[in-house]
Amino acid sequence: MNALEVRNLTKKFDGITAVNNASFDVPEGSIFGLIGRNGAGKTTTIRMMMNIYMPDSGEVVLRGTKVGQEFKNKVGYLPEERGLYKKMKVLDTLLFFAEVKGVTGKEVNKKALDYLERFDLLDRKSSKIEDLSKGNQQKVQFISTILHDPEFIILDEPFSGLDPINTNLLREIIVEQKQKGKVIILSTHLMDFAERMCDHIAMIDQGKIILNGSLNSLKQKFAQRNVSITYNGNISFLHGNPLIESISDYGNSTGIKVKDSDNIQELLKLLVENKVEIKNFSANEISLQEIFVELAGKEEGEILEVSNV
Amino acid sequence: MFNYRIIGLLKRELQEKLLSKTFIIMTIAIPVLMFVLIGVQTLLMSYEGDENTKLELITESNNLTESFKTELDSLPFVKNGYYSFDYLTLSRAQLETYLMDKKQDLLDEKITGIFFVSDSAKNSKEIDFYSKAPNNATVTQKLSSYLNKVLIDNYFSHKELSDEDLSFARKRVDFTGYKISKGQEIEEEGYGNMILSILFTLLLYFSLIMMGQMTMQSVMEEKSSRVVEVLLSSVSSKELMSAKIFGASFTGLMQMAVWLIPLILVAFTSYFALPAGMDIQITALHIVYLLFNFFLGLITFIGLFVMIGSMFDNAQEAQSAMWPVLMLIMIPFFIALSLTKNPANPLSEISSMLPFASIIVMPARMTLVDVPVWQFVLSIIINIATIMVIFPIAGKVFRIAILRTGKKPKFSEFIKWLKFSN
Repeated sequence: MNALEVRNLTKKFDGITAVNNASFDVPEGSIFGLIGRNGAGKTTTIRMMMNIYMPDSGEVVLRGTKVGQEFKNKVGYLPEERGLYKKMKVLDTLLFFAEVKGVTGKEVNKKALDYLERFDLLDRKSSKIEDLSKGNQQKVQFISTILHDPEFIILDEPFSGLDPINTNLLREIIVEQKQKGKVIILSTHLMDFAERMCDHIAMIDQGKIILNGSLNSLKQKFAQRNVSITYNGNISFLHGNPLIESISDYGNSTGIKVKDSDNIQELLKLLVENKVEIKNFSANEISLQEIFVELAGKEEGEILEVSNV
Repeated sequence: MFNYRIIGLLKRELQEKLLSKTFIIMTIAIPVLMFVLIGVQTLLMSYEGDENTKLELITESNNLTESFKTELDSLPFVKNGYYSFDYLTLSRAQLETYLMDKKQDLLDEKITGIFFVSDSAKNSKEIDFYSKAPNNATVTQKLSSYLNKVLIDNYFSHKELSDEDLSFARKRVDFTGYKISKGQEIEEEGYGNMILSILFTLLLYFSLIMMGQMTMQSVMEEKSSRVVEVLLSSVSSKELMSAKIFGASFTGLMQMAVWLIPLILVAFTSYFALPAGMDIQITALHIVYLLFNFFLGLITFIGLFVMIGSMFDNAQEAQSAMWPVLMLIMIPFFIALSLTKNPANPLSEISSMLPFASIIVMPARMTLVDVPVWQFVLSIIINIATIMVIFPIAGKVFRIAILRTGKKPKFSEFIKWLKFSN
């Protein structure tokens, strides 16, 4: 069942179409990734979902009814551009943001202290926000996003600016929230993060949704003719080979797309024959990055819908 | 009207404003500053820079010279040495050469000036004044009445009039003002209410500008620090705007109440005695009206300032848009100040019931003349109507502008936002 349905959202600014007829569904209990390059329209889409921007056309439906204040009450939102009151103290900030969501009392106070402890910020609870480092401010902002225990958590580029340890901590908490049954929507331009965390994704490029569905079914659909290899040696002999459609170098691994799925065994044979030392050969495997590059490169490609299962 | 979201925002606004050092200091400093300003102005006005004025007075007859000497030397500012006089008796023919002799002294300001009272002046009262700066009004105005007195005495001394007659002739008309008001006894009117009207005008003016700018600043800060987007994920733009406007308006009202406490103590208790002629006549209803009207004014103007704040990223860019709003405060301010000259002029009567203007003009007017109740009611209705017009306009602009960053909006965009319906 879908928790949230985005239907035909369009938004123009000064004649430029930021989001063009975007539609996708966010299933209950999932981590949903809205992925795309910088400036693709992710933030505008999220702002329309949050009812911060009025769409020029289209609507967002929350469990059967159009979103409004009721949705705002159920959401914790971490905007891409972080913002806190600089002169306010850490604990006061957390309690203030919970209060405007209608959550007050001793319990929330205790919870705030727990989160601060978890993020190693307990000793800074009486510091002013402006005295914290940028990373710590981010952590405070994240706590304020989830402190009121929202049903929906919308995170716009949540990992930007965090060190690896805090990135992991954040990921841990996101997964924890998912286990509690929360719906998490995160936007990111980092495909590998999305790939590791999301159950469902919508890919947006130049304001259009170019791909939408569950990660598994997407991969299945795209993987059929793809091989990912890690190797030592020279594979330049593959260029121009009639079996191969394209070769993409992703640094640690290389993606090879064959013209026909039957050609995969042929390709392995070819590599062994040419004395390429294969460390990893993964057929039917494609990274989200590869899918994205393939789709984003296409001219006016039609929307690819795959099963949500 | 106020849900928990607005209350949450309001609480923060009040905490931030009421407990801020700037606010506390300003609340104390503004009345002090005002008294200093009034003091400095009075001091400057009264400072005439005429110490060490050296004058010579020449007449054509010894008798007249003596009369002048007797009169002028007895004056306090001559006795204490501020002014000093030399007296001479010369004919007009001699005067020419005398002036040539003294020319250098006059140019060097060793002598401030020379008065020449010719024989013909005894009848015509035309006195010549030779000086480097003959238009120096301080000297001539100060001496005019004393010189006149000597000439009058001289003129009438041959006409057998008693001193009593003379002193009557010399006496100026003296006005005593009585304020006529409904249902009250006719009372002698002092300067108290005149000062009160200036005081109200200044307080309202300072407070509107201060609260307006402060709120505008805080909107711009929220905008540039991007807190606004987090807030808008919880509350609607209308709720955010209302909280900002009401938060600042409550703060302003509180400040005004603090400023009025001394006045209330003076007007309604007997703990403080004012000097005669300085009595303040004001009713409790006036104070209530003042505060209520001021609250409406705060909402109106802060609404406009919040709207402007939402459109710009910093105060410099906001300058151009702020001018029209500042004019709406400044023009009534000058009208209100002009009331002390003629409180009953039609301009002030009309402007005390006009949108924006009534906020400053009416309180000044009500202290000076008896304002009919219907005019109070009308001004309140008009002010509420103004708010009803401004709120939706500010709301429309605020909603779109607050999330915009980057280049300064053009006037055409502002109009477009107003037309935007949803």
